[in-house]
Amino acid sequence: MSIAETTRPRRLPAFVAKREVERFALLLAWLVLFLTFGALLPDTFLTWRTVSSMLGSQAVLVVLALAILVPLTSGDFDLSAASTLVFAAMFLAVSDVTWGWGIGWSVAAALTIGALIGAVNAFFVLYFRIHSLIVTLGLGTFLNGMTLWISDSRTIAGVSMQLVELVVIKRLLGVPLAFYYGLAVAIVMWWALEYTIAGRKLLFVGRGREVARLNGVSVNRVRGASFVLSGLLAALAGVLYAGMTGSADPTSGLSLLLPAFAAAFLGATAIYPGRFNPIGTLVGVYFLITGITGLTMLGADAFVQSLFYGGALIVAVSLSQLVRRRQPQNFG
Amino acid sequence: MTARELTIRATMLGAVAAIMPMTASADAMSDARAVLDAHRAAPDFAPLGEPFDAAACMADKSVFSIPVTMAIPFNVELQKAMSRAAADVGFKYTTWENQGASDSWIQGVNQAIAQDYSLVDVAGGLNPEMLAPQLREAKEAGLAVTTTHLYDESQEQADFVDASAKVDYRRAGEILAAWAFVETEGKPNVLIIGSDDVLPSLPFVEQIRQSLSEYCPDCEQQYLNVPVNEWATRIQSGTQSALLANPGINYILPIYDSMTQFVTPALRIAGANDVGMASYNGTPFVLDMVREGTVQMDIGESLGWAGYAAVDAQMRVLCGLEVPESLGIPLLIFDKDNAETAGVPADFDSGYGDAHVAGYRKLWGLEG
Repeated sequence: MSIAETTRPRRLPAFVAKREVERFALLLAWLVLFLTFGALLPDTFLTWRTVSSMLGSQAVLVVLALAILVPLTSGDFDLSAASTLVFAAMFLAVSDVTWGWGIGWSVAAALTIGALIGAVNAFFVLYFRIHSLIVTLGLGTFLNGMTLWISDSRTIAGVSMQLVELVVIKRLLGVPLAFYYGLAVAIVMWWALEYTIAGRKLLFVGRGREVARLNGVSVNRVRGASFVLSGLLAALAGVLYAGMTGSADPTSGLSLLLPAFAAAFLGATAIYPGRFNPIGTLVGVYFLITGITGLTMLGADAFVQSLFYGGALIVAVSLSQLVRRRQPQNFG
Repeated sequence: MTARELTIRATMLGAVAAIMPMTASADAMSDARAVLDAHRAAPDFAPLGEPFDAAACMADKSVFSIPVTMAIPFNVELQKAMSRAAADVGFKYTTWENQGASDSWIQGVNQAIAQDYSLVDVAGGLNPEMLAPQLREAKEAGLAVTTTHLYDESQEQADFVDASAKVDYRRAGEILAAWAFVETEGKPNVLIIGSDDVLPSLPFVEQIRQSLSEYCPDCEQQYLNVPVNEWATRIQSGTQSALLANPGINYILPIYDSMTQFVTPALRIAGANDVGMASYNGTPFVLDMVREGTVQMDIGESLGWAGYAAVDAQMRVLCGLEVPESLGIPLLIFDKDNAETAGVPADFDSGYGDAHVAGYRKLWGLEG
């Protein structure tokens, strides 16, 4: 009895310390990266202009990563998210510029379409019981065709300056408003997952559908809602994309899908290790852009950026696994 | 030599040395203006080859063209123009509709061989090296092989290609360099954005750098290479970083104009509102941006003209005539003064005139 009393307090702090190190390792790595580039480029990197520029430029990726994070949390994949982003951006541009709907209606329509796309994904996944990878891959490809169709394969420029101003021109503390939209979505999502019943249900469903069902959680409703929310957020990312560039083109936004997944997986090694989480994802996105910006400022070739991007993801996830004593991965 | 003579000589040399840079600079400025002036007017037609009876020669011939992808408007318009030219002459012309997948290009070559076409053409940026085995097979089967709108005039074509309708990318590079030099009043500090994975980028970028160095040997220039499939994710961040690292940058030259949509937000985020931008391709949405003032200049080329020139080259191959080294498409500068001539909204073929249609019809013996 007395032995147990003396050993317990010694083991607990070690465990807690290790867990805390794991939680904040990516944040620390980000800080180290920032300070390293700051030391190498004191006159240019360590300026508020550089920081605000990094923060302001990643909102689209942040929101897209948060979009795919919702179904990932409930154990589903949404491979149609980037296609939804591109379609929503294109629909907004065509309806605003070509059809003359006005920017307010165009944004509302784009967001509604995003939610509808999520509902279609949910219908096929849940009613026909097809794996989400297959359904979202199919619907994403279908949407790519729709985008080419409505745009006549062209880039549409001339999106209302009202939207451009609200996204990238207006600033708060020198940082374009786009950053705050991404930050707001991340904070709301973190709060919902941590402190609301719906959010906890989403986590339970992701951890074990059968257990959640036996506990009275309506698994299909939760999964369906996660697809709708994913579609809505992907469309919001599309609205930001159109506001960022003042235009919409039919293909280039598709290349954001893999970086979004990279950010989500990288984020799953931080704050709440082993679990997809919005704050971790936010840290992941800005960790990566800090590295890319610093390397570009140092004059690194294009391939070095890809090495950093891919390498950082693998190293971070591997280190996280070492800390977790190589337990099998069970994201969700 | 007396001390007085020495003093006079030294004074004269000093005066010459003081004047020299100014003269060189003035020369450079007038040279650059001359380059721009040569590309400001709607072009006249100048035949690049001998006239021939196209209808008679092409009566039993056919052409099968494989564009890199029909999901890009540039290729759609180029193919439409080539079809129009073929219909004008009256021979069978087929476009292989595809979305840029390599298996569909292979299938296209196989179709051309199976259906006994006379010529297979790879168009709009499709590198024949990527289809080398299939195109060699086509050649062995008796088909001629051509490329359209791929190589720069200074580049060698693949050894199994019979003829190439080449483009003068170097000239476009000279114009971009001259524009940046003139617009910055002889003090360019330029960021060039290119894609080394696109075949003609190397001579294009090399020419911009060389021309800038000639105009202004001490001026700064920086090159950012972004592969095509990373334009959406890397151009913006790369441009921002370059602007932050070198706040003196006063002009950006993205060599293909579809890049400009990713440069624009970088300029806004970095607060670089006085940095100019000029590019090449004449893509309609960029011409719209020129009209609205977001982009200062875009070099355009008439795709209608390019289509006729490409068909001219194909026919000359099939008729056993000498093929011109270049498509010979004139390059036209679009800036705020003439952007409206490209249409509102802009399109691929307005603003260039239609001298090429009558010119080629006459060259081909279709009208007197």
